[in-house]
Amino acid sequence: MPYIIAVYDVDADRTHLFLKLFRRYLTHIQNSVLEGFITDGRLQRLRGEIEALLEPHESVLIYEVSSEDYVDRTVFGTDPKADDTFL
Amino acid sequence: MNDNFHVFSDGRIERTDDTIRLVREDGEKQYLPIERAEAIYLHGQVDYNTRLVSFLNEQGIAMHVFGWNDYYAGSIMPKRGQTSGQTVVAQVRAYDDPDHRLTIAKRFVDGSIHNMRANVSYYHNRDHDFTTALDTLDDRQAAIDDATDVNELMGVEAGARRAYYATFDDILPDDFAFRGRTYNPPDNETNSLISYANSLVYANTVSAIRATALDPTVSYLHEPGERRYSLSLDIADIFKPILADRVIFRLLNRRQLSTDDFESDLNGCLLTDDGRETFTRALEETLDQTVHHPTLDRNVSYQYLLRLEAYKLKKHLLTGEEYVPLRRWW
Repeated sequence: MPYIIAVYDVDADRTHLFLKLFRRYLTHIQNSVLEGFITDGRLQRLRGEIEALLEPHESVLIYEVSSEDYVDRTVFGTDPKADDTFL
Repeated sequence: MNDNFHVFSDGRIERTDDTIRLVREDGEKQYLPIERAEAIYLHGQVDYNTRLVSFLNEQGIAMHVFGWNDYYAGSIMPKRGQTSGQTVVAQVRAYDDPDHRLTIAKRFVDGSIHNMRANVSYYHNRDHDFTTALDTLDDRQAAIDDATDVNELMGVEAGARRAYYATFDDILPDDFAFRGRTYNPPDNETNSLISYANSLVYANTVSAIRATALDPTVSYLHEPGERRYSLSLDIADIFKPILADRVIFRLLNRRQLSTDDFESDLNGCLLTDDGRETFTRALEETLDQTVHHPTLDRNVSYQYLLRLEAYKLKKHLLTGEEYVPLRRWW
C-alpha cells in the first residue's frame, strides 16, 4: 500500500476546496500538505477528483512511496500525525 | 486500508466538509479521513446528530458504542451495501434444518476449542504443566461429534471453556486472580478485561459480517432472536482465544496493565479509560499483524481473517463447499 505526501499550490480563495478533498483521504500536516497511507484504488479515485477540481494555472504534487519501509520521517516539534486512529 | 478509529476523548463528532471531525470539549478539532475508516468506536462521552448518522450510513461505516458493565452498548449500522436474497434464504434454511444447523454449529465449536487448546499448549510448552487441561480439551473436542443437538453441543463447549479458564490463574500474574468467569458486571480485574476484550472482538466481527450479505441475526450455535447479532457471537467465539486472550496474557505478564488500570466501584470492577486505551491499542496492533495463509498463499492480517471467516460461511451456505473453521495453524 503506497504512502503518499500531497502538496498543493492553488488560488488563495480555492485552497479550502483542496483541503476538503484531501482530508477525506489523508491527514492534514501543515498548510497545503497532507500525508498518509492510501490503497491503490483510492489513490486512483483521488487522482480523478484532483483532475476534476484543478484550474489551468494551479498545481498539485503527489509524492508516492511504494512501501512503509521506505518512509523515514523526522519531525521537529509536535507531530500532527501521531496516532491518528486514537482520538 | 480499513482502519478502526477509536474515540476516547469526550466531545462531539460531526460531519464537516464531506468527512468526519471530532471536536473535543476544549474546542480542539481533529479530522478523521472518511475514506480510510472501516468503523468508529466510541469509548468516551460523545455527542452526535442525525446528520452524522446519515453520512455514516451513506459511507457504509459502522459506529460501535462502548459503555458500562460488559462494555458493549450497541452499534449504529449502515444500511446493507451487500444484499442477496439468495444468501439470506440459504442462511435461514440451514438454520431451520436441525442436521445442517448442528453441522455448522459443530464447526464453530471445533474452531473455538482448537484455538483455546493452541493457547494452553503454548504455555504448556513454556513453563507450565497443563497436561490435565490439554486432556480435557482433547476429550471435549472428541465429544463434539457425538453431540446430537445444539444444547448438548453448548455443554461440550462450556466444559472446554471451563478447563480453559482454569489455566488462567496459572498463566496470569498473582495479583490478577481470576477464579472463574463472571460477568454483568465482571467482579475482578481479569474478568473485566475479558469482558472488554470480548466486546471488541464481537464488534469487529459485526463489521466483518457486514461486509458480506449474511444476516447477522441468523446464527447456528447461539440461539438467534435475541437483541444481539448472534451470528457475531458464533464467529467471535473462534477468535476470542487468538485475539482477546493472547493480548490479555501478554499485557498482564509484561506488566503493561496493572491493577491501577481498574476501578472497583459500585458492585463490579471496570477498566479505567487509560486501561481501555492500552488494551485497545494492543488489540489493534494484533489485528494489523499478518500471517501467511496457506491456501491463499499470501499474507493476511488477523482483521482480514475475520472477514474470511464470514466469506467461508457464506460460500458454504451457497455452494455447499465444506466450511472449515479457522484453526490456528501458525
